[in-house]
Amino acid sequence: MTYQNVPAPVAPEINLGDSFVTTRVDAVVNWGRRNSLWPFPFGTACCAIEFMGIVSSVFDVSRFGAELVRFSPRQADLLIIAGTVTYKQAPVLRRIYEQMCEPRWVISAGACASSGGFYDCYCTVPGIDEIIPVDIYIAGCPPRPEAFLESIVQLQKKIDKESLVEQRTVGI
Amino acid sequence: MIAHRTHVPQGPIQPGLTNEQLATLLGERFALTRDASDRWDLTLVCKAEQLREVVKYLRDEPTLSFAMLLDVVGVDYLAYPGHRSERFAVLYPMKSLAFRHRLVLKVMVDEEACVVPSLCEFYKSVEWAEREAWDQYGIVFAGHPNLKRLLNHHEFVGHPLRKDYPCQKRQKLSMNDPMIDQLEARLRSLGYTILERGETSVGQAITRPSAVPSALPKAGGKP
Amino acid sequence: MKVITPQGEHVDLMTLNVGPSHPATHGTLRILAALDGENIAGCVTEMGYLHRGFEKMIEQGTYSQVLPYTDRLNYCSAMMNNIGFCKAVEKMFAITVPDRCIVVRVILSELSRIIDHMVCTCTNLVDLGALTNFWYFFNTREQVYVIWEKLCGARLTNTMTRIGGMYRDTYHGFEDDVRAVLVKIESAVHEVRGLIEHNKIFIDRTKDVCAVSAADAISWGWTGPCLRASGVDRDLRKDEPYYGYETYNFDTVIGTSGDTFDRIMVRMYEMIESVSIVRQALDRLKPGPINTLDARLSLPSRDQVYHDMEALINSFKLVYEGVRPPAGICYDATEAANGELGYHIISDGGTNPYRVKVRPPCFTQYAAYADMLTGSMLADVASSLGSINIIAGELDR
Repeated sequence: MTYQNVPAPVAPEINLGDSFVTTRVDAVVNWGRRNSLWPFPFGTACCAIEFMGIVSSVFDVSRFGAELVRFSPRQADLLIIAGTVTYKQAPVLRRIYEQMCEPRWVISAGACASSGGFYDCYCTVPGIDEIIPVDIYIAGCPPRPEAFLESIVQLQKKIDKESLVEQRTVGI
Repeated sequence: MIAHRTHVPQGPIQPGLTNEQLATLLGERFALTRDASDRWDLTLVCKAEQLREVVKYLRDEPTLSFAMLLDVVGVDYLAYPGHRSERFAVLYPMKSLAFRHRLVLKVMVDEEACVVPSLCEFYKSVEWAEREAWDQYGIVFAGHPNLKRLLNHHEFVGHPLRKDYPCQKRQKLSMNDPMIDQLEARLRSLGYTILERGETSVGQAITRPSAVPSALPKAGGKP
Repeated sequence: MKVITPQGEHVDLMTLNVGPSHPATHGTLRILAALDGENIAGCVTEMGYLHRGFEKMIEQGTYSQVLPYTDRLNYCSAMMNNIGFCKAVEKMFAITVPDRCIVVRVILSELSRIIDHMVCTCTNLVDLGALTNFWYFFNTREQVYVIWEKLCGARLTNTMTRIGGMYRDTYHGFEDDVRAVLVKIESAVHEVRGLIEHNKIFIDRTKDVCAVSAADAISWGWTGPCLRASGVDRDLRKDEPYYGYETYNFDTVIGTSGDTFDRIMVRMYEMIESVSIVRQALDRLKPGPINTLDARLSLPSRDQVYHDMEALINSFKLVYEGVRPPAGICYDATEAANGELGYHIISDGGTNPYRVKVRPPCFTQYAAYADMLTGSMLADVASSLGSINIIAGELDR
């Protein structure tokens, strides 16, 4: 047996055919994250009733993969603040946010959560971004269910652009 | 424990006395005067020192039977045009379930002392309503078992519904009320003896309330 | 915490905090309980997490600007809050709104009562684990929202009424839409009742749970369905009728024991009574003006404004200054979905209300909650909190 008779090593791609695709890790991970958001509804006021509306059959948020509502912040990756946040509520919201694992996203639903709304007085937080970072703001008092759904679509687009290499800001 | 006497009405509601008859009756018995500013229904002005006596009579007298005290309303007359007497007032809307009686008792409260007697022993509904009036106006209800803030947080300073409290004067809260002291008081009132306060994780301070997170780089941005 | 019970036993109680961010507490209520095993030895409750300064804010604006704030008191039945406030201000002006307006307000009130009871019962059932009822009731609720949207464009917070009338008259085909939705409501109520009324799990979890006696309910100042569940036959629509409720044929629904089961069932049957009231009101709906012609309250028509100097001035004054009720103290109440919704208005004769105190019906119900829970079990926290229907918007204001 001579050295020349040994068959040349074959590149594995040749035999595997089209049974695999190449892609980036980012794309796969983001695809999974974007289509299986688990929301934690931090519903305090009127907007929470509209949130119930999008979970129910007519608007059906499960079409966007975000129907698995979790009431433990440790199991959720999407925090939806639906309703007015007062200074009495603020430490609670902050604590809930801190209990969520990375990656986590925040949707501020409605005028009150985004800016305090028309409650411009001694007890209301003028926008929850004073306490926690926010990814998507939704307008409306309360926002229509379509606006809620649009915010989830927008958030999915945002997640698509994220990268595992560039670390998300952990904590604040 | 406080004894509450309540009559449960039977059958449909009865017409009872008219507002004029009520005003005459109470005017003769307690020298209550009708408040002219209520030109629609019956509001009677009552002195703070006779309040408890009047309320007890209104509740227990079978021909009046004011079984329900609906609310405790604080009022600050500081900015009221032409107001010359005491600064605060407390309104007690009451109604009867046996008769179609409704009236409002009005007690004027002096700014210096700012005290009215508590009605907690007559109606269960009063306890929280008086806490709210104290929270919002700073009116003290003498004899109240647990006069704490109800709507505003426990670090709040001042009384927001007073006319001289600026609407946009915000007050931040660093930590929620642990409420352990209230729970212990509650257990004591139920007959328990507290030997040792246990561990509790209730209430946690915001660590860095001044941080402005929106200014920090977000995910997807350049590091 | 280590304690000695009233019976003299040494027990180690566990302190458990429930809420404010808990699905059963609607995100805004907090309960701190001392547990002996699964039994609640004692507990205290806290509110105010949604205190957003309603009473301070409305002192800053005019009477018409109060209306959007009233929407957000009991946001499950926003129309009834509007109507209650408008009725109180109209009482100060001593005017009656036109007949058509009254009938439309009755229809909207009763539909609001139905959708409010729907939210209350279906979320209560979700807290008990019965999720199917949530879809049944929310689908029907969406159909009522479609009518709301056609009426005024908004789904939840409508601001449909105005002082002295309505924002606008009903649209063409309103009656047919309402009649169609009433059939859907009846069938939804029938379906849900079929699922729960003889359901052993439901009955075990609600019967004789957190029962409140009639005497206690009165002393606590309870009104509305919760008071009626305790067996007290009192309803403002019958006792102090307004808007011609005495001429409608309907029954008040009364419970017997005042437990969670009764409170849910009273709401279930009240929906059927409200359906009957709406049907009777639809039969009475006659064409006519919807707004009062009183120039102190209603805007003149555009045509008059363009051609008449007086009407132009009137329109200008109403828009820039608003209405001016006479000075004084006025209390007025309506039977809202939760009970007696009262507005105590103090006017100084100006364009802004000097002081408005809302008497929210669920305030007294939540005040009683700590007493109700004492001696019951931890699992009853969720089941009984839903049944007293605490809406944080009107509780904390």
